[in-house]
Amino acid sequence: MPTQPPLPPLLTPYVSSLPQSSLTLISSVLAATGNWLVLRYLYAALNTSSTFGINESDTSKRRKVVLVSFVRSWDFWKSEAKRLGLDLARLADKGQFAFVDGLSELFYSPAKAPAAPPTQSGAIPSRGLPIRSQPGAVPARSPAPAPGTGDNNLSTPTEKGVAKRLHFSGHGTTALDNLEKDIANVIGQLKSASGNEDDLDILLIIDQPDLLLAATGASKGIGATEMMEWVMGLQQHVGSTILTLSADSPLIHNASDSAHRQATPLEIEHAAFAVGSAHRARTVMQLRNLETGAARDVSGVLRLSKGGAWEGGESKGEGGWEEREVLYFIQRDGGVSVFGRGES
Amino acid sequence: MAPINLSHRRTHNLLLISKLLGLRDTASPFTLLLDSLEQPATPLIKEYIRRARLSKVHVTLIAFETLKQPDGVDTFVSARRKNPQDIAKEVGSASQVSTSSNSSRRRVIIIDSINPLLNSKTAGPAFHLPTFLSSFLVPPSPSAPKIETSLVVTYHQDVPSLPAQQPYSPSPFSLLTYLATTVITLHSFTHILAQKAARDRSLVAPVFGLEEEQDGVLLGRLDKVVGNKSAECVVLEMEHRRKSGRGVVEWYILPPASQYSPQQAKEVVTLLDDHPLYRPPEEPATGAEEEPESTFELRLTDRQRREREGVVLPYFDAQSGDGPGEGGRILYDMGEEDDFDEEEDEI
Repeated sequence: MPTQPPLPPLLTPYVSSLPQSSLTLISSVLAATGNWLVLRYLYAALNTSSTFGINESDTSKRRKVVLVSFVRSWDFWKSEAKRLGLDLARLADKGQFAFVDGLSELFYSPAKAPAAPPTQSGAIPSRGLPIRSQPGAVPARSPAPAPGTGDNNLSTPTEKGVAKRLHFSGHGTTALDNLEKDIANVIGQLKSASGNEDDLDILLIIDQPDLLLAATGASKGIGATEMMEWVMGLQQHVGSTILTLSADSPLIHNASDSAHRQATPLEIEHAAFAVGSAHRARTVMQLRNLETGAARDVSGVLRLSKGGAWEGGESKGEGGWEEREVLYFIQRDGGVSVFGRGES
Repeated sequence: MAPINLSHRRTHNLLLISKLLGLRDTASPFTLLLDSLEQPATPLIKEYIRRARLSKVHVTLIAFETLKQPDGVDTFVSARRKNPQDIAKEVGSASQVSTSSNSSRRRVIIIDSINPLLNSKTAGPAFHLPTFLSSFLVPPSPSAPKIETSLVVTYHQDVPSLPAQQPYSPSPFSLLTYLATTVITLHSFTHILAQKAARDRSLVAPVFGLEEEQDGVLLGRLDKVVGNKSAECVVLEMEHRRKSGRGVVEWYILPPASQYSPQQAKEVVTLLDDHPLYRPPEEPATGAEEEPESTFELRLTDRQRREREGVVLPYFDAQSGDGPGEGGRILYDMGEEDDFDEEEDEI
């Protein structure tokens, strides 16, 4: 197969138009993950050499991106972006990109262990990750790069390129507020680096915050409402926001009334979070398997729909946005081709 | 019950919906909008705001999930991380400011989504939904000038809610539907058409979106499939409870906002039954009722029919029982057009 352009032409209008204060939801299932789509958004926002000449004015405006990742490590994103020709480490040095690591030390802070209160070091790390996180991403957690720089001060990046490592501490909304403050600090640093704050468009990508919900839950006073409010709080700091969530059927449909058994609190909270976010989202990108089974030349189906917060008036202005369903195929080299049904 | 005829519904129920949407005469103090991902309530809320602006009604939006203040909203109250008492207090103070400065005596309070409040963990056990809702409707003090307040609350039907803390208390959803004076359920017009087409063929009606229970599908709506303007229409299923207790159920259609001007005061909502796509106009009733054509004149004239009915058949006479043989006579009065045939009639 020929090498694919980094941005599939069919997707270009969708990934490059993100209006102010909009929320985009990417829902994925285990067999059809959304990493590649997130990378396409990253590419559309960060790539300044205008290889696609569609909206020149947008690319010259130069977006900044903050990526908050909960189930994938910095190494993963760095190497995947490199395959698209995007050097995230260099962009981070230039102050165009910031990576917030929500994975390696979320419930565990090695350097601060002696100073930390015993409840934090004793109880929280034992919770671990839920089993349903992506298989490819979990191994990156165990060999978490131990910071060799002695005292792990929260404000100094321990690894090159990682702006911040999130630490979960406390209970309920205060814990979420702390996380929000940490992320807001990173956004603030990015804003101040440019000087001119007005015409700056910061894109915030929150990758799978449902981990946070699954790992904490009701015993920590965190539910769907609290998570939604947390996302809303983060939205206030940035221009546009992308949220990725799992939408596997046990997480969504077990909680519905038609299910014939009592749903677990996690199932209810996750479904409420995912469906509630779809109600708040302007657009919803749904990834799923091919219904007819596995195919050699199709990786999955991408459905682009208008979310609950779609504003009817906009549809006239930007006539390019229409709901549709396409197939996509991820090649071995990481290139993605997107095509309609029946096309190739 | 005989179906109320269409013209009656056209006059009465269209008047009712414009009264409800226009928030006139406090026809419905508490309106509950039930929406889903397949048909969000956003277009209807916009319509409420548009009409409120036209008739100078003060609009307050309590935003549980809206970030930006939409156009036409006078007071925007962000409910993020606030407990219900504070929200009520903030709305109350906003209303006092508005009534002192403004002469408008009507106001509408819109809650964009009640679900976060119902699922909230921070609201605490003291939170009582009916008290919270009625705190908006009841005037703060009896001496205060009377304001006509209407409450419009959106409830997302597809967001699952947590099991009740107390097993014997009703679920928030049944509480809301019980309290509401009007319940409007929103449907997507394309889905209604698809379901009707299936019903007309006696097939199982299709389901969409989350109800499909397909892995990875949250939204089933694709407006490209239909490809025409009607896809943006919203179907409103209204149930209005009158003060007398009598209920009115009606289905309406709300056209997309792009099809009329924002200043239009004329009613835009129509009955679902009047929509040409839902009920295609019937062809003039010919053929079905007429008898097959033939070269013979098979029908009777009025006079012929009258005379035919006047004939007393023999068995009627037989029942009077004048003895054997007597009752079976054929009684026949000769008309003037009958000609007397000696051979036949002599018996």
